Amino acid sequence: MVGFLTTIFNWAQGILGLPATSLADALPWWDILWAFIYFVGAVILLIINVIMLIWIERRAAGFFQERVGPNRVGPLGLLQTVNDTIKLLGKEWIMPAAADKLIYLIAPLLIVTISVTMYGLLPYGPGITPVTLNVGILFFLAISSVNTLSVLMAGWGSNNKYSLLGGMRTVAQIISYEIPMALSIIGIVMITGSLDLGTIASSQAHVWNVFIQPVAFVIFVISALAELTKSPFDMTEAEQEFVAGYHTEYSGIRFTLFFMGEYANLFSMSALGVVLFFGGANGPFLPPWVWFIGKTYVFILFMLWIRWTFLRIRVDKMMKFNWKVLIPISLANLLLTGVGIKIWQAATGAIKW
Amino acid sequence: MYGLGLLKGLGVSLKRFWMPKITQKYPEVQPDLPQRSKGSFKYDKDTCTSCELCSMACPNGVIKVEWHKDESGKKRLDRYRMNLGHCLFCGLCVEACPTTPKSIDFKTDFALGCWRKEDIYRIWTKSYPAAEAVAPVMAPAATGSPAAAGSAGGASGSTGVASGAPEGGN
Repeated sequence: MVGFLTTIFNWAQGILGLPATSLADALPWWDILWAFIYFVGAVILLIINVIMLIWIERRAAGFFQERVGPNRVGPLGLLQTVNDTIKLLGKEWIMPAAADKLIYLIAPLLIVTISVTMYGLLPYGPGITPVTLNVGILFFLAISSVNTLSVLMAGWGSNNKYSLLGGMRTVAQIISYEIPMALSIIGIVMITGSLDLGTIASSQAHVWNVFIQPVAFVIFVISALAELTKSPFDMTEAEQEFVAGYHTEYSGIRFTLFFMGEYANLFSMSALGVVLFFGGANGPFLPPWVWFIGKTYVFILFMLWIRWTFLRIRVDKMMKFNWKVLIPISLANLLLTGVGIKIWQAATGAIKW
Repeated sequence: MYGLGLLKGLGVSLKRFWMPKITQKYPEVQPDLPQRSKGSFKYDKDTCTSCELCSMACPNGVIKVEWHKDESGKKRLDRYRMNLGHCLFCGLCVEACPTTPKSIDFKTDFALGCWRKEDIYRIWTKSYPAAEAVAPVMAPAATGSPAAAGSAGGASGSTGVASGAPEGGN
């Protein structure tokens, strides 16, 4: 979507016969306008993605269970999500009388805001990164962990025991799994020598990082599932234990926003996985953004495959698995990566012993 | 090896992904039900002897049989009514039916939902040809008591109306 907008913009520039720099000089508010265009592009991308993702999730869930999933509204059931959204928008807004009102109202807005921010950081292809940061990956991780805050706000603000327990569990889970995720990413950063997502993606033009760092990939997938609170780590909204976890008390459009945020995060986390391990937008024949979106959706299907196969694990076992298995393995992987880089540099003559 | 079960599980679910789906696309594709499945009822008013065994066997009083006696004292069916709203589909009425083939029997039509409350009743009425209906009326007419004609055909309104016409002719 952003690529499409860029194309339109370039075309408009060509029509006007002005180079971009002169236009930017001529108009002092040009940066603001550009930022707005990027924002609108990211939001449109987010909405289309969420609609597609919910459909894909439900269809895939059906297929894994030998069902067919939603197939009535529109061709192949594609308009089912639109239908559901309209239904949700028409629902009553119910707020618990004893809710912490400000926190309760802000939480769903925050989760969507964070998702849009993460969409703005992703390199959809060369030249179509909305916001290029030289510490992109650091910023991405930092922003994605603010999600925890919105979940906690929802859990606390609802003044409901289920919500609070769900929110607390989420905080424990996401903060714990941030560590192995960051450690698995550090290996990639060491190999690439950059924190910029675009540079990391373009450095894999020949060999994808998944072949260089297979252990890191496995750790990344596990901790990404935990970060997204997808099964087998969906303790946040374990339906049998809490009614729906942190969004028990939300209805109507606020519930829709939570739902949207959840699926938007699924896309952005998968996109991060693609950037780190599957070469980002690199690929032959097709335009880069097609490669990027395609790879991301394959990655999402992979996540769904895991999600619909494994059962939810117990909370204490999940924490034990993180602290006693994942973190030691990722640290060992990091050590081996460091040693490997030095050996590689010595072998290629980049450094002298 | 530790964790091999996880891979096996992934394999199982992947296999399921490509397998034919068990979901039936219902309104387009009607299900192929077994012969003895219990759906709605079919009723044959011509073989029914109005013995009311079905009505007596029914635990919920679903079945109501209305009949009258003809001139030979034989039960003639007028109306057979089932209130499916109370029906358990237990099949005791079908078991009780003495005729062969069964007058009341199950059929595989299971779509019993309806919009209006009165649609939940299944009613079969039997009307008799005019010549047959005349016969019971003619007998009391011959005895010369017009009041008896009304009571004899009183079970069904249509019979009563039919009885009036030949009398006027006389």
